[in-house]
Amino acid sequence: MARSGTSIRNQIRTLRFHHGEMTQKELADQIGVTRQTVNAIELGKYSPSLEVAFRISAVFDKPLEEVFQYTPTPK
Amino acid sequence: MNASFEEKSVWIQLLSIVVMLGSYLVIAAPMLANDVTALPPFVPLFIAAVVLMVVMLIAGHIVVAIHSRPEGRDERDQLIEWRAESNSGWVLAVGVLAAVAGLVMSVDNVWIAHVLVLSLFLSTVVRYVLQLVYYRRGV
Repeated sequence: MARSGTSIRNQIRTLRFHHGEMTQKELADQIGVTRQTVNAIELGKYSPSLEVAFRISAVFDKPLEEVFQYTPTPK
Repeated sequence: MNASFEEKSVWIQLLSIVVMLGSYLVIAAPMLANDVTALPPFVPLFIAAVVLMVVMLIAGHIVVAIHSRPEGRDERDQLIEWRAESNSGWVLAVGVLAAVAGLVMSVDNVWIAHVLVLSLFLSTVVRYVLQLVYYRRGV
């Protein structure tokens, strides 16, 4: 599970491992972003757009909620 | 450096503009201190500083492109740039207001011109610094 500076967590690193140990670069090429952006998403330093989030889910053939989890921050 | 080509490009632009400003001010500041009130003597200095900046930009990007294949700007690069631009605009606004205040108080045009130009370049420096902070800390 990725550490997060935002209220959105993700399982991308785990999913990459279970998909033939996919590299960040391979995932980045499939979803149309840079490797550094994939790294930033995994570390919770960047929340992707809805489109990129859907693309990531499509790569792993998982529902969006299995890839990303939203935890509302207390007001 | 685990940085994208775009981030390295920002570093090059920041370094180039800082060197450009520094090289210009090293010569222009003493001229201003010695009460040079005409603008024309400053023009060739400024042009030379801009040429130096352009040379550094080109050389720097060639070096980086040899070592890092440009991948194009993605949504994160765009967001970082937009947010940095948004958060650095106040520097230029302060400079413009200072210039207007100077005009009202009949300050010499040479100082007005320098306030305007410096605020433009300083706002750009602030923008590049913010971009680098957002790249490292997240956005």
